[in-house]
Amino acid sequence: MSVGNDSGPHPVSTAEGPSVPIHLRPATEADVPVLVPLLLRLKRLNEEFDPLLKVREDADEQARNLLKANLSDPKSVVLSAEGVGADKDKVVGFVRAVVRERPFYHPEFEGVILDIYLLPLYRRRRVGEYLLHEVSAALKAKGAGVVTAEFPAQNEIAVRFYAKRGFRPITAIHARSL
Amino acid sequence: MASIPPEREGRRRTRTRDPVSEKSVDQTDALGKRSVELSAYYQGKIETVPKVPVRSLSDFALWYTPGVAEVSRAIHEDPDLAFSLTGRWNTVAIVTDGSRVLGLGEIGPRAALPVMEGKALLFKFLGGVDALPIPIQVNSPDQFIATVEAIAPAFGGINLEDIASPKCFGILEELQRRLEVPVWHDDQLGTAAATVAGLLNALALTHRSVRDVRTVLLGAGAANLVTARLLLALGHDPKRLTLVDQKGILHAERDDMDELMLRNPWKYRAALKTNGGGRTGNLGDALRGADVLLAASTPSPDTVRPDHIEAMAPEPIVFALANPVPEIWPDVAKRAGAAIVATGRSDFPNQVNNSLVFPAVFRGILDARARSIPDEVVLAAARELARGATRRGLSAQHLLPTMEEPEVFPEVAAAAGDTAVRLGVARRKLSHDEFLERARAMMGRSTRLVRALTRARINPPMPRPGRRGRRTE
Repeated sequence: MSVGNDSGPHPVSTAEGPSVPIHLRPATEADVPVLVPLLLRLKRLNEEFDPLLKVREDADEQARNLLKANLSDPKSVVLSAEGVGADKDKVVGFVRAVVRERPFYHPEFEGVILDIYLLPLYRRRRVGEYLLHEVSAALKAKGAGVVTAEFPAQNEIAVRFYAKRGFRPITAIHARSL
Repeated sequence: MASIPPEREGRRRTRTRDPVSEKSVDQTDALGKRSVELSAYYQGKIETVPKVPVRSLSDFALWYTPGVAEVSRAIHEDPDLAFSLTGRWNTVAIVTDGSRVLGLGEIGPRAALPVMEGKALLFKFLGGVDALPIPIQVNSPDQFIATVEAIAPAFGGINLEDIASPKCFGILEELQRRLEVPVWHDDQLGTAAATVAGLLNALALTHRSVRDVRTVLLGAGAANLVTARLLLALGHDPKRLTLVDQKGILHAERDDMDELMLRNPWKYRAALKTNGGGRTGNLGDALRGADVLLAASTPSPDTVRPDHIEAMAPEPIVFALANPVPEIWPDVAKRAGAAIVATGRSDFPNQVNNSLVFPAVFRGILDARARSIPDEVVLAAARELARGATRRGLSAQHLLPTMEEPEVFPEVAAAAGDTAVRLGVARRKLSHDEFLERARAMMGRSTRLVRALTRARINPPMPRPGRRGRRTE
């Protein structure tokens, strides 16, 4: 629908830092209990876009295990965003990414952004932009020569967010039920 | 008023032992039966009637071809001449897709027609506005918008009616953006304006200001989201305003926020802006210490409980606007300590009624040949309506003018017209006195017209109750 639905979470890009100074740091094992619900919020958002993205009943446990595995995996990057003021020391968002090898292409290593999530009050305030900038740097430091992002094809907010920051579609995943 | 569906009626009967509600159910049933009877007799509530003399058929050379071609040519050269050479200036389309009709829900455009006819009658009788009922069969908001845009050249204004939330917000915004005439959705703007008018007077009576009260809005649909917007425009602190819906307090971290971002961005934005301090929980949690409750939710007498009211700040103001059954009965609310109670019903004091607003607002903006209807116009009408109640003495029992105080309506029309001129959206810039005069004349003519048609028995008198069949003419 084209009507009125312009409430994307992210502003037009600039190279400036976040107008809300959040504190971004590598996630730790202690963050897992607060990261799990944020990750599940993102997966439930994805569910809105396609029935083939229906969230499993055990998603909670899966999220916990996955995050723990990521935290001990040198190829993964998980950053926690802490709020300020009343939200000081509270994790208000995160980004999760992994470095994958590309056996056939240059550059050889690809940094894949798997999840970016921010609580609503931190959207449209350039925090997402900042997260993208920081995770890209972390992926580059791990050897990635290209950064990609995975998200539901119907998520136009994400499409716009990345397009404004120079991303273009390079591969597509098409699906049908079996 | 149409009868309510049997399941709701049944539930209401079992859930309440209040004699007032029993009486009102019987009354509603009786009115419904009589309404069907009269509909069968009159077969429609409005018809088109010529407004020019026809002395002989040769006059049609003037009213129609060949003479009329020159009128068309003139409008072709200057499209705005349609507002002075045709009836466009005073003609409004009442458009619905039948997706949320009264308390009946999604009954479709055909079943919505009697309601739209009734609205057209109100437009004409109260506002002197020629309104055409136009229920449309559409399958998407985009199709709705395209349809209204397609018919807009015939109209000086569009009144959207009985469209489900949240699609009503997008449809209204987009049509307001596209059309060169005012677009109004009565369930949003009309209800919100009447609510704000009543609230302004309730606050005045209890010596409070909109700037320093804490307000809870129960229901986050068409009416309340706009009421919230208007209150913020009047200086209400967004942090001291809390919206509550079926899932409880609407707050920025609620589980369904991402879904709202996609499906109902209006509610999503309201959640981000309101409820400072991050209150969570249910209606009871929201109401603790609040000054004002504005309830516009689903009809049920148990939605708001006496202990909810008892937990509010001293002299609480309670608007229980669900129809036909308010969220709490006025006597129950009063016993629990409410200083002022308003409902949506005419059989209790302080009826918050759209009919106090839309005929007058349209009168004013049509007389201004307005291009749009900004919120300032709505607020001006609300303020004037509030002022109108003071003419016969403001009290806790008389917050708003009733339908029996028609002297207020031309004033509201003039306030709307004045504001359209001030904001630069009027094609015709009349003075306040001219708007007032014009509104009195148009409204007076309509009332006289209906009475004359009745007196002359061109419109036959109502048949006795119980009589079947149609009128014989």
